[in-house]
Amino acid sequence: MRALEPWVIDPLQTFLDESSARLTLLMTSSGQVVAQHGFSRSLDVMTAAALGAGIVASTDELARLMGATRFGALVHHGVRQSCMLSAFGTPRGRWIGLVVFGPETSVGIVQLFFDQMVEQLVTIAPREQAPAPVLAENFEGELNASLKALFGRQ
Amino acid sequence: MTDNIRSLTSRLAEEPSSLAFLELGEALRQRGQLEAAYKVARGGQNRYPGLADAHDLIARILSDQGDLAGAFDAWSDALRLDPLRTSALKGIAFLYYRAGDLLAAVEHLERAAESDPDDESIPRALARIRSEARRSAPGPRPPDASEPAPPPSEPVPEEPTNGAGSESPFGALEEGEHGLLLVDSNGLRLGGTLTTSAEGEMGDRVAAQLAGLSREAARATRLLGLGAWHSISVETPEGQLVLSAPTAETVLLAVRDRSLPMARVGLLAERAARAARTWLEREA
Amino acid sequence: MSAAQTALDRVTRVPGVRGAIILSASDGLVVAEQLMDGIDGRAAAALAGSLVGRLTRAARSAGLGEPAFVQLRSEGGSILAAPGGQDVVLVAVAGPEANVGLARLEMLDAAGRFV
Repeated sequence: MRALEPWVIDPLQTFLDESSARLTLLMTSSGQVVAQHGFSRSLDVMTAAALGAGIVASTDELARLMGATRFGALVHHGVRQSCMLSAFGTPRGRWIGLVVFGPETSVGIVQLFFDQMVEQLVTIAPREQAPAPVLAENFEGELNASLKALFGRQ
Repeated sequence: MTDNIRSLTSRLAEEPSSLAFLELGEALRQRGQLEAAYKVARGGQNRYPGLADAHDLIARILSDQGDLAGAFDAWSDALRLDPLRTSALKGIAFLYYRAGDLLAAVEHLERAAESDPDDESIPRALARIRSEARRSAPGPRPPDASEPAPPPSEPVPEEPTNGAGSESPFGALEEGEHGLLLVDSNGLRLGGTLTTSAEGEMGDRVAAQLAGLSREAARATRLLGLGAWHSISVETPEGQLVLSAPTAETVLLAVRDRSLPMARVGLLAERAARAARTWLEREA
Repeated sequence: MSAAQTALDRVTRVPGVRGAIILSASDGLVVAEQLMDGIDGRAAAALAGSLVGRLTRAARSAGLGEPAFVQLRSEGGSILAAPGGQDVVLVAVAGPEANVGLARLEMLDAAGRFV
């Protein structure tokens, strides 16, 4: 498990231990990765983050059209693996969790411990001023730096 | 040294915590450089003890080196982390086949087939083993003396390698040890037996299902505000089970048919748990 | 009143039972619940569902078939479970003083109606 910010590590590790999740990605709502577990290729992380953020944005828009509040979580049930996407507020802005799990656990367990992790993250997140928006010219550099940290190449 | 191995070696040297150890270890193994592969894999496993891929890689290397006991343990670890891992199921099936335990080999291959129905090698292996099983005498053959020691036929030795002695944990009980299992936290049998006329000895198989049970029961009662757990009773149409934890690291299973009231099975389990605790203290 | 609600009513009327849930076994999610304050239905469904699933695998591997009734005893009471058909499990949370024998009978009868 790798995280860009050390305060994320303990809550995420507890979630992984309790939920038996196979893959986990925490990212900002713009798809910038905060932490990952189980991915072995940076390309997979980038792709999953982009797709996850896109799916959440689409369903937010769907909820708005329906006149509903945002959906709490999306679960896609597969034959061998299932996937949960859940967006949540933190003092650092809106984050998204993408969790892939197999039949050795259940969506109930994953959601239960995911929500506990979110509570812990919200409680312990450092209260800092929101970071300035990343300019396009800085974006690629920031992304590469994040991926290096997430795969141990500091 | 091939370009691929060179490039992976450089990558790992630059960043020792990279997951490149998986590709590098496998590449070295395929080239027959097993010592080097093992060092790389072990280094990676120490950094990522929860990564099933790492255990799987170590198992393949140990299997190639002829350390079948080590390979069995490593594939078991991989399965504990990822119960549907096809490669580990196939690996363990192979080890059981080598040891002559065709029933266990078939069971693991069937699980692998469920996990990966597209893998065509599995049905072929199953057909071959079933054909051999039909031709051979009932039950596992004794291992060939010329082969390396076949630990999979005794995946949990009757004399556990944790230093405990040869006496059964339930030796002092008048009921004996049949229908009682003492299992450690990794799902390995410490003592006792469980057999049926239909399936034969299945203590190890059942023990594997109990890995992590104590932790899960403790978690459920803790999070629901019920305190520490002390036993689980399960009634089925075919029998009754009682589970308890003689120590923090062990689980005891007592199984009886429906002729015995559940409360009596519970008393039996309590006596067995006391006997197991005494045995564990003595053997520690 | 639905069959689910009838089942929950009967079980929760047993002295000492603090609440009952019907959950989806494969998902560990609540289908229906009737709980006293202080019991987290979502947690009970997820945790009990997971435990019953594990015990079902253990019972099957021992050649004993599917569990009909499960009791997890603890310092502060019990978790009782009766798997029914259609992938549902009826779970009750009971205090240490509960009449578990009566709860068991009610749960087995109710779970039998879920087939």
